[in-house]
Amino acid sequence: MATDYVDAGQAVDNSSLSGIVGSAPPVTDGLTYERILNARSEPQNWLTYYGAYDGQRYSPLDQINKENIKQLTPAWAFQCGSVGLHSGKSTYSFEASPLVVDGIMYVSGWDGWVWALDARTGSMLWQYRTASAFDVSLCCGNVNRGVALAEGRVFVTTLASHIIALDAETGKKIWDTTYGDVRAGESGTMAPLIVKDMVIAGSSGGEFGNRGHLEAFNRETGERVWRTYMVPKPGEPGSETWPDDGEAWQRGGGNCWVTPTYDPELNLIYQGTGNPCPDFDGAVREGDNLHTDSGVAVDADTGEIKSHFQYTPHDVWDYDSTMEHILFDLDGQKLAAHFDKNGFLYILDRTTMDPVRVAPFVDRIDWGEVDEKGNVTPKVFPDKEGDPVHFWPGPAGAKEWTHACYSPQTELLYAPVQDVGATATRRRREFKESIPYWGAGVAVDLDDMAGSISAFDPRTGQERWRWSNDIPMCSSVLATGGGLVFAGEPTGEFNALDAESGDLLWQFQCGSGHHSSPCSFSIDGRQYIAAPTGWGAWTEGFLPGMLGAGQGSALFAFALPE
Amino acid sequence: MNDTAVEAGLDKQNGVTLGRILGRGTVGQAEEGSDGVMRATIRIPEDELVYEPGIVIMPHAGTLELTFVNDDKNTHCAVLPSNGDYKFIWLVNSSKGTATLDLDGPGYYWYGSRSGNDEGRGLTAAIVVGGDAPPEARIDRPPQPRP
Repeated sequence: MATDYVDAGQAVDNSSLSGIVGSAPPVTDGLTYERILNARSEPQNWLTYYGAYDGQRYSPLDQINKENIKQLTPAWAFQCGSVGLHSGKSTYSFEASPLVVDGIMYVSGWDGWVWALDARTGSMLWQYRTASAFDVSLCCGNVNRGVALAEGRVFVTTLASHIIALDAETGKKIWDTTYGDVRAGESGTMAPLIVKDMVIAGSSGGEFGNRGHLEAFNRETGERVWRTYMVPKPGEPGSETWPDDGEAWQRGGGNCWVTPTYDPELNLIYQGTGNPCPDFDGAVREGDNLHTDSGVAVDADTGEIKSHFQYTPHDVWDYDSTMEHILFDLDGQKLAAHFDKNGFLYILDRTTMDPVRVAPFVDRIDWGEVDEKGNVTPKVFPDKEGDPVHFWPGPAGAKEWTHACYSPQTELLYAPVQDVGATATRRRREFKESIPYWGAGVAVDLDDMAGSISAFDPRTGQERWRWSNDIPMCSSVLATGGGLVFAGEPTGEFNALDAESGDLLWQFQCGSGHHSSPCSFSIDGRQYIAAPTGWGAWTEGFLPGMLGAGQGSALFAFALPE
Repeated sequence: MNDTAVEAGLDKQNGVTLGRILGRGTVGQAEEGSDGVMRATIRIPEDELVYEPGIVIMPHAGTLELTFVNDDKNTHCAVLPSNGDYKFIWLVNSSKGTATLDLDGPGYYWYGSRSGNDEGRGLTAAIVVGGDAPPEARIDRPPQPRP
């Protein structure tokens, strides 16, 4: 007997079965490059990843200040959670920095999510999700660090190494460009950066032995404008720092997985580059291995590498230098500050990338010595096959990717510090495309660790004050005009410290650890501090002592009571 | 064929386990039409709590149109991956419907029924997308050894 089937119709968008509004007002239509250049002149907004191109992560807003901080309270919370089986189910986390334009927040999450929220209420206006394959190569969690905004569009990278442009009003996709090869272990996790009529993005996948690159795309069409590899081919400048016999450069690493900063006057993009590959087996790649573990100044129009400074030549500790170069002018000098994984704070002349000052910023450093000119003398490192070697800092570094900040009010730098070591045992392995290519067995210490939020004087490199924690601090720091420094803890507390003294003035338990970048904005004169929370990502690398802590996915916005 | 899971009674409902171990079942190929859309039919047979075929292979990224046929005597659904948003289709007993998906590749995706614990009992299946990254996206280096 033939079955008389009921018509189940067509599958519908999952979000049509929710309270979603479906569109946002056109607040980004007038968001030009020129406005982003002057981002700090509109402190009510957070227009770009670091708040401004200089990477300072400083908000001039001062409605929330030392006198009233104790009244700070949650204004709203946004949550998403996870659906079904997806990649990195154990390691997804909120790593983003939200952007805000005229009361509308744009933020990305794990597993391909992008949201537009009403920043006054936290209500979802629209969402877009890139379908993300279960088997995508991830070293460090199912994460995404944020979006870029310009002239009616939202730009985001995806785990499958795409960069996409969405309509900022509807969340519908406008263009989609593949910029990496998943079969090579590449992925996309960084927040892109708007520079002129281009959007800049770099490759993730530094543990898979690929060849890291930074590139620029036309904002209108998604066509590539330039691509710059950080590891040169034979015959190119820097190739003399790789073996002549020819294979090491092909898998050399140098990935660009954190958003760069940008000096429009010098027309230079300051990109930090990742570790060489294999991370811990230096014998297969003799030489300094340029331009891995470097700060690279790149011409914004052409992608040409104009100058560089290499923080850890011939790295065998996994000391990526992808982290931010904070740009600031002091005493007539154009400077860049970089807290490196290797435990040293570098103040560079950003016109030449020459070091002005080098100083340690964490208590325990035994991998090597770095003199005041940045010259490295290695001391402790994995060398003999099968021989365990313990060193400080471990491969997550004395500071992980999460960002430091600079306050022009105090003229101090503030950094989240991790004091935790690791043991690496060299285990040479054959390279196979898409298989992790470390060359060692690595275990990060489960105990005997510490952390802090520390303030440093860039004029001297000296620590001015320290707020200490029992465990490493691994969330970005935010400084505000109210004289406050905000930072979240792995155990869920969100803290406000006195920017002058480091005293803890306020704290709120968010329910899950922080591994993201808070920001500040205001709407109709009311200042908010937004903090994405949710523990996960590469916890076994930066804080395995907290590997069992609960995951979460809540974005909190705090404000003073109305 | 020597199939340890089948011999161990794991390839059925309420055998050794309560539900069928995931990853079992047949593999089907989506067929590409002249319009460039790839198509396949997925059936939920009676009392097996599975989608058949359990794995559908698309030869490359693009648009996949799945026709779902629920021949079971219970209601299920499917929550499916697609660029833009998950897709949801409700499949009451003896119903038939379609889902049009946009998927990138290469890679594979899981989808499942969120009714009860259908996902855990066996109603979880995979869509495989073959192919490669476009040449202009690939790394400028010689071909590399693979596993």
